[in-house]
Amino acid sequence: MWTTALVSGISLGSFYILIALGFALIFGVTRNFNLAHGELVVFAGYVSYWLWKVWAWPFVLTFPVAILATLLICLGLQRLFARLCEPLELNSIVLSFGMAILIQNTMLFWFSGDYRLIRIPTLSQGLHLPGFYLSYGQLTLLFLSLTVIAVLYILMYRTYLGKALRATIQDKGAAAQAGINVAVMGTLAFCLGAILIGLAGPLYGCIHYLYPSTGHEITLLAITITIFAGVGRLGGIILAGWILGLAESFAVILFGTSWREMVAAVLLLALLAFKPRGILGKGEQ
Amino acid sequence: MSFFASKNTKFRTQGLRFHSVGLMTGLVLLILLPALVQSNNYILQVFTHALLLANLALAWNILGVSGSISLGHAAFFGAGAYCSAVLSLEYGFSPWFTIPLAGLLAAGLGLIMDLICLRLRGAYFALATLAFVEIPRVITDNWDGLTHGSLGLVGVPGLPSLSLGTWVVDFSASITASYYFVFVYSLVLLGLVRFLFSSNLGLAFQAIREEEIAAEAVGIPANRYRLLSLLLSAYFTGVTGACYAHLVHYIEPGLVYGLHFSAIPMIFAICGGRFTILGPAMAALVIYPLDQFVFHPLLPAGHEFLYGVVLILTVLFLPAGFWGGLRKVS
Amino acid sequence: MTVLQLQELSKTFNGIYALSNINFTINEGEIVGLVGPNGAGKTTLFNLISGRLRPSSGKILFQGKDITGLKPHAVCKLGISRTFQSSRPFPRMSTLHNVLAGQVFGKGFSLHTRPEDEQMAHELLDVVGIAHKAETLAADLTLSEQRRLDLARALATRPKLLLLDEVAAGFSPVLVKQAIKLINRVRERGVNLLIIDHFLNLSQKVADRLLALDHGEKIAEGPPDIVMKNREVLRAYLGMRYQDEEDD
Repeated sequence: MWTTALVSGISLGSFYILIALGFALIFGVTRNFNLAHGELVVFAGYVSYWLWKVWAWPFVLTFPVAILATLLICLGLQRLFARLCEPLELNSIVLSFGMAILIQNTMLFWFSGDYRLIRIPTLSQGLHLPGFYLSYGQLTLLFLSLTVIAVLYILMYRTYLGKALRATIQDKGAAAQAGINVAVMGTLAFCLGAILIGLAGPLYGCIHYLYPSTGHEITLLAITITIFAGVGRLGGIILAGWILGLAESFAVILFGTSWREMVAAVLLLALLAFKPRGILGKGEQ
Repeated sequence: MSFFASKNTKFRTQGLRFHSVGLMTGLVLLILLPALVQSNNYILQVFTHALLLANLALAWNILGVSGSISLGHAAFFGAGAYCSAVLSLEYGFSPWFTIPLAGLLAAGLGLIMDLICLRLRGAYFALATLAFVEIPRVITDNWDGLTHGSLGLVGVPGLPSLSLGTWVVDFSASITASYYFVFVYSLVLLGLVRFLFSSNLGLAFQAIREEEIAAEAVGIPANRYRLLSLLLSAYFTGVTGACYAHLVHYIEPGLVYGLHFSAIPMIFAICGGRFTILGPAMAALVIYPLDQFVFHPLLPAGHEFLYGVVLILTVLFLPAGFWGGLRKVS
Repeated sequence: MTVLQLQELSKTFNGIYALSNINFTINEGEIVGLVGPNGAGKTTLFNLISGRLRPSSGKILFQGKDITGLKPHAVCKLGISRTFQSSRPFPRMSTLHNVLAGQVFGKGFSLHTRPEDEQMAHELLDVVGIAHKAETLAADLTLSEQRRLDLARALATRPKLLLLDEVAAGFSPVLVKQAIKLINRVRERGVNLLIIDHFLNLSQKVADRLLALDHGEKIAEGPPDIVMKNREVLRAYLGMRYQDEEDD
């Protein structure tokens, strides 16, 4: 049982990393907290569900459409964020909170409040390894998440574009002085974020029921992981995602499923109360 | 220079006169509403609910005026609703006793929130409140023995009838009585908020919001005043939650701890004007009926997009809120 | 009688001394100038006295009472008030309400503003010369007016000791003359002053004594003419002196 929990925790955690990356990237580069993040993930899931269920597209082919749809919305969002005045972080929270309500209700209108699941039979089969059970779904999550992380790592740490992005994350003003177009970096962050959301959404639809108000939970996960990691630390995000996945997985075993929802909230509150700059963060608060 | 100054003051007094005429008309309309709509139950129900939401917005704004934006007031609302509902339904206490008690429980929760968020400001405070709701919600959800978990509580007793001499107010007979009850509660809360904001407590709240370091340097113990505003805000949110439980008779965790009751007071307060006394209540009395009478029939699923749109437009184009440009707290 | 006494006062940030072993006394009726180059620890000293920072070691006595480690609002209530290097008004409040906040909370607390509080606030605005802006939002004041507002608000708390952080920095000679007049008026009210004066355009003319800091250490104290001739002070300020003479 414990090894199963461990495996499912790691696989879930890897997926949480995928979910949080988009949020963290947008926050890091533009200092905008996008509370509509979870709603966008669910929206991408719905797009994929619709193509798969109604038009009977192969599941894999729904990803590009989901990505494109989120990309368009994110670019629109970025225009609105760009109009905000100081204090940027707080105003972005209020703005995107409104956005979350708007997207949630639009989904309620289009897709109704029914629970939907992208049911792919092969994903629920799996391997009986000695001591634990590994489903193909978990394996896919693990594999896809790690691939995306690897690609993002190469982008951020092995290319000039990544260097420019990291510079903007560290110090917007200094980056601008060094000739980096900060506005373009902001747009880029939103685009990359949208791609990550578009990837995460359909996967989310495979492992979790889709309904309009479930986005809130995803947003909370993303916030928790981002705050845990501190700004601009890819390694921190990976660590945070795994810790959160494992914590939830063990919480289910120890206390029961219904307590799982509190794990992220308690972790976030503890972080904010004691280490608002992130576990790996340095300096005084 | 003096020319401008005098012109400015004149404009202000004109504005005030216009306001008081408008306010008196609004007040009279609200008092006469049951007679005007001939006790049309649906319209009265909507306005009763609008007044409840106005109270939530007023209560939210007690904290809002000291600069904190809370996205988690559903924690206080839900805790208040559950406290009063459980005590009256399971233990048979009178709602007149349990409603104020519910406020105290909510204030206790506010104290816990303050301990957690002591050092957090602005965006980080808002995020913490967003997470904070989950704690009372999940506890309520899991405390089956007391709260029946996610099934919710059905048949929460209504408000018992009041007898004032020979005149008996029976809340179960008509919605009109409930309407006036919430109306009176709104007036009391409005009076209290007005008193708070125009007293020197309001001065302290504003000073903390504007520049905390300077506020402390002139002798304002910022943490103490922020706690005070949070406790008052939580108390009245809890009381309003309790009233809600007794008026609607049914509560469940997903509803009373839901995003709805966190978002609505914030949206009304911000749209109406965060730094004004009346603005939040006005916004509730305009937007909620608009939603119920216009958008709900048009779009049964998804009519609440209105709140999102209103919030987005306010943040982008009217940061001081609708009422904010017209009348300041001070 | 001593107003303020600093005993072996030190402050470290991450093990680095921002101030080390400062001993100093301000006597009744004195105006003291605090001088020193950038990073000497002047503002840190202000933050320690006003309670914004806790000293790492040492003691601060105010009128014989130990105030080490008290919170800023408590320090203010005892009678120490300050202004800020870059003024910190309450931007979306009227000038009058800015001063009223100091008047109401500086010493005690009253639930409602009394007429005499309001009158006093108007008087203070008049003292600093912005009485005609009483109804203006603080955010709409010019920088020099905001600095005056800072001063009026600090005075409204009825301090026994007033800490002024760079009141005259960047002022033209005319404004400096006004500032000197203002400081003398403040002194007449029985207020002792400690003035940070990085650019040395004020303290030489009003201060009874100077305290010179460099790298967190006291390098000299005494009457202005003597301190300004002190070799250590000259060395610490050398670059700065040339600059000043060129400007004059």
